[in-house]
Amino acid sequence: MHTYDYSSDEILIERFKEGDEFAFDLLVRRYEQKVYQLAYRLTNNPDDAADVTAEAFLRMYNSLKRFRGDAQLSTWLYRVVSNVFFDFRKRESRHHHLPLELPTEENDEAMELPIEDESVDILGHALQEEQKRVLMEAIQQLPEYQRVMVVLFHIEERPYEEIAQILGLPLGTIKSRLNRARNALRQLLEPYRELFGIETSPTVGQAQEASDAL
Amino acid sequence: MHCEQVKNLLNEYIEGSVSGVLRDRLQAHLDGCAECRRELQFMQAIWRGLSAMPEIVPPTDLHARIMTHVRANTRAREAQQRVAFWRWAGAATVAAGLFLMGFFAAQPNGVQAAFGFGGTRKQVEEASQPVQAGVFVRYREVEQGVRLSVLEARMNRKATAELHHAPGSLNETKLVWRGTLLPGKTVEIPLQTLLQNSSERVLTLWWSVEGQKRVLFVPAGYPAARIASIRLQAKLSDALRQLASVYQTPIEWVPNGEEPLVVLDVQDATLEDALRQLLVGSNYTPRRHSEAWRVVGQ
Repeated sequence: MHTYDYSSDEILIERFKEGDEFAFDLLVRRYEQKVYQLAYRLTNNPDDAADVTAEAFLRMYNSLKRFRGDAQLSTWLYRVVSNVFFDFRKRESRHHHLPLELPTEENDEAMELPIEDESVDILGHALQEEQKRVLMEAIQQLPEYQRVMVVLFHIEERPYEEIAQILGLPLGTIKSRLNRARNALRQLLEPYRELFGIETSPTVGQAQEASDAL
Repeated sequence: MHCEQVKNLLNEYIEGSVSGVLRDRLQAHLDGCAECRRELQFMQAIWRGLSAMPEIVPPTDLHARIMTHVRANTRAREAQQRVAFWRWAGAATVAAGLFLMGFFAAQPNGVQAAFGFGGTRKQVEEASQPVQAGVFVRYREVEQGVRLSVLEARMNRKATAELHHAPGSLNETKLVWRGTLLPGKTVEIPLQTLLQNSSERVLTLWWSVEGQKRVLFVPAGYPAARIASIRLQAKLSDALRQLASVYQTPIEWVPNGEEPLVVLDVQDATLEDALRQLLVGSNYTPRRHSEAWRVVGQ
């Protein structure tokens, strides 16, 4: 009995090239979660993420036969997802972003209230959740290229070299643009310093400095 | 060193790519400048926040959505794929143990129609045309102990269909899939999750096309026993599930009125023998389709 070794991407791709649809199904299973995760980070919307994911795999289906294996399949797939996302955004360009909404002054007050009772952990948890939400929304405000870079590097934790492959840009360009992206993100997050445990008011800062000096 | 220069280097400082004299000067500045220290803390907090983002859990129907999208947009290639599939199926039957297919049709001549992947255009346009459908269960061992199972449905005309999983009794079902089937299109419903989450040796699936219900008993393993000795007295559905389990062969049942109580007492019987014995005196008769069996009203 002949048995196939399905353990590597290469063999699955070979099988797919020979017309084996099951190989494709298995490749999809292998990567759908990763692809969806990236798509979700980029779109911040479950439906859009599923659409981007499905389209990315359709493109994989259509071009896998030309895949030469110069890069890892995952790298290549990230590249496809990024491209689908760019196209998706072009189509959706009439969609405009809502500004970051929080925290309003009332929210500030509401958040301060529980400090005196025993809900401190709940508050801490809520602040963390809030921080994540603000971060995700700030990422959505970044221009597409910067967004992809920040997500790939900081959230998906891909190395610079791989991001350079994914976006088809030189390593130096990736590093300098990513730096710009981080600084842009930091500017967007300026109103939410407190969520990150950083004091806002310069006078408070100075007072702290003065007390440090004592 | 000015604050602006320092702020421009903070990201590199955080990732540790600033070295030597530059790093020392930067460190010296940070030691003496509270504002830049706060700026560093802010950037560090952003880095930490980004890397602590939780995993996103994909929707449970993601795989089905992907495959449906891919299938729907690759119709032009379908003719080629069919050839490839059947070539593969033929080879796999001989070589790797593909295997078989559950199958049903509303009409006695439905076998050909379903294997013809959906009739002619004229048939398709006739909405009154009786629904003919083929359901295929495919297994394949993809790695040691890892099996891929897909249920494929094909129709002769547009029709709505539902697939339910009945883990316990036939009356308690869970919707697995609902959708519109189109001629010339294959819908794939992965059984992997069901099989993984199930301790059953046989999945019991309700398959309903425009209200016509059928039950599919899909074994979790490969066709195994060729001969078995069985004694049982049970409701027909339970008996069929048993047989599907013992012989690890899909059995489809097209309910026709009341469910009879059946008895079986065979020794060293094939599935065919067992089914014939089981159905003696009932209104049902077994029919073979490839390696699968279908139990239909006479």
